[in-house]
Amino acid sequence: MLVYLSKRLLMTFLVIAVTSVIAFLLVHLSGDPAAAMAGEGASQADIETVRETYGFDRPLYVQYLDWVSRVVTGDLGRSTYLRADVTDVLARHLPVTATLGVCALGFALALSIPLGVLAALRPNTMIDRFSLWLAVAGQALPSFLFALGLMYLFGVYLRVLPISGSETWWHFIMPSVALGYYATPAIMRLTRSGMLDVMLSDHVRTARAYGLSPWRVVVRHGLRHAIIPVVSLAAVQLGFMLGGSIVIETIFSLKGIGHLAWESIQRADIEVIQAILLVIAVAYAVLTLLADLLNAALDPRIRIS
Amino acid sequence: MSDDTRILSVRGLNVQIPIPGSTLWPVRDVNIDVGRGETVAVVGESGCGKSLTALAIMGLLPRQAKVQSEALRLNAESLAEASPKRWRQLRGDRIAMIFQDPMTALDPCYRIGDQMCEILQQHRKISRSAAMKRSLDLLGKVGIPAPEERLKQYPHQLSGGLRQRVMIAMALLCEPELIIADEPTTALDVTIQAQILRLLRDIQRETNIGLLLITHDLGVVAGMADRIVVMYGGEVVEVGTCDQVLAQPLHPYTEGLVRSIPVPGETEQGEALGYIPGIVPRQVGERTACGFVDRCPYATSACREEPIAMRDAGDGRLMRCILPTDGSARDPDVWILPDETSAQSATNSGSL
Amino acid sequence: MSPGRVALRRAIRHGGFWIGGTIIFVIVLMAIFAPLLTPYDPSVQSLSEGFVPPVWAEAGSWEHPLGTDNLGRDYFARLLYGARISLGLGLLTVIISGTIGTAMGITAGYWGGWPDMIINFFITVRLTLPVVLVALVVVALIGSSLWLLILVIGLLLWDRFAIVVRSATQQLAQREYITSARAIGSSTPRILFREILPNITGPLVVVTSIEIAHAILLEAALSFLGLGVQPPDVSWGLMVAEAKAQLLFRPWMIAIPGAALVLLIFAINLVGDALRDVTTPEGKA
Repeated sequence: MLVYLSKRLLMTFLVIAVTSVIAFLLVHLSGDPAAAMAGEGASQADIETVRETYGFDRPLYVQYLDWVSRVVTGDLGRSTYLRADVTDVLARHLPVTATLGVCALGFALALSIPLGVLAALRPNTMIDRFSLWLAVAGQALPSFLFALGLMYLFGVYLRVLPISGSETWWHFIMPSVALGYYATPAIMRLTRSGMLDVMLSDHVRTARAYGLSPWRVVVRHGLRHAIIPVVSLAAVQLGFMLGGSIVIETIFSLKGIGHLAWESIQRADIEVIQAILLVIAVAYAVLTLLADLLNAALDPRIRIS
Repeated sequence: MSDDTRILSVRGLNVQIPIPGSTLWPVRDVNIDVGRGETVAVVGESGCGKSLTALAIMGLLPRQAKVQSEALRLNAESLAEASPKRWRQLRGDRIAMIFQDPMTALDPCYRIGDQMCEILQQHRKISRSAAMKRSLDLLGKVGIPAPEERLKQYPHQLSGGLRQRVMIAMALLCEPELIIADEPTTALDVTIQAQILRLLRDIQRETNIGLLLITHDLGVVAGMADRIVVMYGGEVVEVGTCDQVLAQPLHPYTEGLVRSIPVPGETEQGEALGYIPGIVPRQVGERTACGFVDRCPYATSACREEPIAMRDAGDGRLMRCILPTDGSARDPDVWILPDETSAQSATNSGSL
Repeated sequence: MSPGRVALRRAIRHGGFWIGGTIIFVIVLMAIFAPLLTPYDPSVQSLSEGFVPPVWAEAGSWEHPLGTDNLGRDYFARLLYGARISLGLGLLTVIISGTIGTAMGITAGYWGGWPDMIINFFITVRLTLPVVLVALVVVALIGSSLWLLILVIGLLLWDRFAIVVRSATQQLAQREYITSARAIGSSTPRILFREILPNITGPLVVVTSIEIAHAILLEAALSFLGLGVQPPDVSWGLMVAEAKAQLLFRPWMIAIPGAALVLLIFAINLVGDALRDVTTPEGKA
């Protein structure tokens, strides 16, 4: 277990390191950062001034090492547009995105796990077909369209939910549904196939042969096993949601990091952009790490070996 | 056997399973009785319907399977009409089952003690500590060393033999009247097999429960069973006491089975053993002939004309065959595998 | 009968395959023959004819069956030409991502060991990067063009190809006929192209369908955010983005390209599911 843990930690560290290089290079190689920062219509002299002020004239690896050495101390740089420390800016925006992500995942799990279980318990019946069709249809619906549809129905037509902002919990309902539904088909399918397998397994037959109540058989001896891979998938999906929240946040004007990223891209605020890339990548890497550890904790065969 | 000592009574049990295009009929018209303190062995090769019979008695067959019976009684209670809830109350409490593969039959996610307590608390109003105490006692009783530690362990930390002992302890939790053991030793090492069988026999004698032992291995049956029920192709083909059936098998299928096992002290080294040609055919549709006719070396045209009924063979024995019961018209060597050099005798042995 | 023939026979009997296939076929035909189906140029503006409602509305006419947008461009023509971009982009990106992913997956699955570890690491790194954000950054900083968009999406979406091909190859590489091919001295390229590649077409085709849908959706999302397809080109995602302001007053302007998008993705997924059903062995789907 210790060996596994240290291997896994090393892997996470390497992934984050490589990702930070990629995030840095993406921003610095996709054009001239000095020109982008100086803005359109800036003179060559202006651009050169910016280049020198921000150190873009140094070799790339020097700039990278400089950036990383500051990042590890918690200094993510300065936003040229907002004239503020990127760390502070992110700290203001992160809670909104985190709330959105967690609510979206909660919605996805609350919908897909019961459906997946029911579909597996009654394969090839109405409920099974219904959930499979829901999955196929759900995967065909782009999140921005679904978001606009929700907005029209609940915000414009029924007028029951606010359509923009992040002041109250009500503001998070539509964005969470719009962001979360996209993860439901995958989670539902995994739950269904896991349950189908486990309900045919010997230990479930034992549980039934010893007269345990159906609820115990399904939840304690069935779902308990089928849920293990779902945990990993849920963590991965949460990571995707953090990265994909950009579309939903811009539609609903939620001031999270997705919204911030979109604005910063348009302002060519490169320090903010690379910081967001890094933060999302780190969040994803940490989430998958947690998922693996949770997996191990849920399966005694891995935990105690 | 009188009715009041009979724990399990199965009459005319049929199982049908719809498959695309037709219906499998893997268990047909099966009668089985198990008395108090009696061990009944159900014997037959794989695919003969013995495990499905056991699952049908437990009410554990999948939803698609259609189960019909004239009577299915546990003590005096008819299970054929029992509600699913009543079935659950009986399972694990009055009837317990031990499965073939102890490596997979226990839930890997829970400790041994938790799994045992869960069963006990499902059927009895009992505190957790009392349930733990009983589990501990039983683990000791089935010969598990250091039972306190085992209670806190997960199944994967135990060997196969120990896990099967745990299964036996689990079966005993609620002091059932009937235990069904489905190939309880098949998945175990040969040395462990004997230990587990001895344990089962000792416990059965001590507690005076009924034991329905399902096996393909006549060697397992020999020291264990009081009576033997031989199944072939979903039907019972012969019933008798253990000694009767092993010493003087009546049905050709039983004869073939008996001839195919070596007898210690009698079978000499290098001596040919018998074998039954062919495989069990798929069981579909109504019988129009003897189910064994295609593999039977004694088959005559009469065997193909109509299905063969079960008949009394005297001494309380039953057989589903038209041959005389006195052992005449038999050739003990008819089962011997023909030598490759004497290929002619292969045609004489009438295989397939 | 060869597995391919079996799969084909089962596909012919599969309902989803027919429904999805027919929808895709119709959309492809409409995209190819767009100039014959509409007299309008999708990018020609006619400000006097702005916001004509579709034919089923009271003020609508057959002149513009789906109406016009704010700049008076014919919506039906935009829909047809938009299909060209969506389909073309989907196919081209999948050629890029499929080539990269398949090469990586076969390398990792066939050789195992170090190549496998390194490629696995790259797959992890790729999954760690948020797709939409990375694509947005690149397109925004380099400057958007259709070819760049195709290249960026293609370079981002190879992960599923690599994962699926890797595990399919791993399973194959352990089979006896591959071992015997090695034993009789078949060259490695011969084994890869003659023995492995033909035998992983099943999963490969399934992933291809999923990834075409994925690429089209990603393009739509990027266009919706204003950093995908740029005018005068037109795509369904861009049409939705341009109609966003009309959500309150003219919701059909979002619904029409939206419905087209959903129908296309739905059809591709349907075919993908059908292909998965017919290429996996009996029972498990």
